[in-house]
Amino acid sequence: MKQKLCLIALCGAALASSACATVRPEQRQLLADPVMQFNGEDPDARAKEHVLEFREGSNGRGSVKGGGCGCN
Amino acid sequence: MKRLLERRRRHGVPGLGLLALALALVSLLGGRARAQVLDLDLGTNVYLEPSKTSNLTVINPSVGVTGHIAGVVSIDAHYEADIVSGATESIKGGRLATVDIVSSATKFDDVRHVASGGVAITRENTNLAVSYSYGTESDYRSQAFAVTAGTNFFQKNTEIVLSYARGFDTVCTTAFAQSDAPSVRSPLDASDGCFTKDDDRAERDVSLDNFQAGWTQAWTPVLATQLVLTGALQHGFLENPYRAVVIAPAGDQALENHPDNRGRAAMALRARLYVRPIQVAFSAGARYYLDTWDMFGQNYELAAERYLFEGLRIQARGSYYTQTAALFYSDDYTGGEPVDGPNGQYWTGDRELSALHNLQYGGRLVYAKRATRDARFLGIFLGLTATAAFDVIDTSLDRFTWGGKDPDDTLGMLLSLGLKSEF
Repeated sequence: MKQKLCLIALCGAALASSACATVRPEQRQLLADPVMQFNGEDPDARAKEHVLEFREGSNGRGSVKGGGCGCN
Repeated sequence: MKRLLERRRRHGVPGLGLLALALALVSLLGGRARAQVLDLDLGTNVYLEPSKTSNLTVINPSVGVTGHIAGVVSIDAHYEADIVSGATESIKGGRLATVDIVSSATKFDDVRHVASGGVAITRENTNLAVSYSYGTESDYRSQAFAVTAGTNFFQKNTEIVLSYARGFDTVCTTAFAQSDAPSVRSPLDASDGCFTKDDDRAERDVSLDNFQAGWTQAWTPVLATQLVLTGALQHGFLENPYRAVVIAPAGDQALENHPDNRGRAAMALRARLYVRPIQVAFSAGARYYLDTWDMFGQNYELAAERYLFEGLRIQARGSYYTQTAALFYSDDYTGGEPVDGPNGQYWTGDRELSALHNLQYGGRLVYAKRATRDARFLGIFLGLTATAAFDVIDTSLDRFTWGGKDPDDTLGMLLSLGLKSEF
């Protein structure tokens, strides 16, 4: 439980400090590249999730579309 | 699809109308690189479990069309099917059970159809989408509404997405009364008579609420992270209507009996880092899962992706997953505590509720080509993306047997092919 609370606190601190993180638009070339995108919407990722729905007891494995590039 | 994999029959694959409509619209386009007006997604997934007992095969073709209006509104329609064949074990017993479970496996084939559609509105920094889907198979029907809202801020370095989905499902069962003791309820032997006025069949509701919140953050020009929180509430008939469990030393069987409610929560944290000197994007992630059936799951994943040459990229990936069993899981409900025997008032034959771990590894190739600013390529395309992926899922069941024998269907292979065209 202590580890979980630490993790939640870490996430909260990261969120609070995110306003300080600034990547300028001209610096986003790599972030906008498909290799840096979180690929929850990709067909192969959806297919794997579809299979694991009935081969694992857990859920929540999907990621949301995005890459921090402001291009979605 | 989970229930579909257990047993049923159905035939027929529509969806070609959707494809024909898309192709007709494409034919109206000219050769100049005007704004994108249409996406066409085609895909086929093939999942195999090369087992002597079940030899499961699932073929999952899909087609989707998205129309874009003035760069602000998009409307999409999607169809997919799960074409399933194989054999299934409809009785679950452990090493003390006297039933020959492997020999009792019966062949089946069935098709599930799912049609969905939605509308999305995108403004400069925000988007809102609503969707509806309807699925049907011989013994299960599902409807779901979903709404998703997203925005980005801090100079687009931060992106937040919230979504909620509500499902209204109906499952076919035998016509037992709710007041009947669980130990005298019988499983289905076939889907014949389901969703008709057959006196031997009944319909049970399942309601599903799914919540998701995602936070994607760009930290540096080469580092981004994503945190996804997921919650789900399930209520209703959560058993497999076909599966019986041996619940007494004399061999008495009853339909499996799960709690009517299940609350589920998961947290996933992923990071992507681009290493310039070797031109490789690395990805690492961890996911933790908890539910009210006392299951705890952990997943750790790694991936690396790079371009082989312009337009063609390759990814290698692997992950490890482990979970504990549900509180009421037992491999054999006929023995004595603690190794084998009843665990409370419920019983199950579901392997995914047992303790297990798996190793997943594979990779994919993606080829993408985009039109130049002046002209479409091949006369009609603004973009074309072809994907081929292959994954192996190797599962170890820590304490799940077919009457004391280890299941031989724990190795799965997934081939995924996709083609996305932008017009």
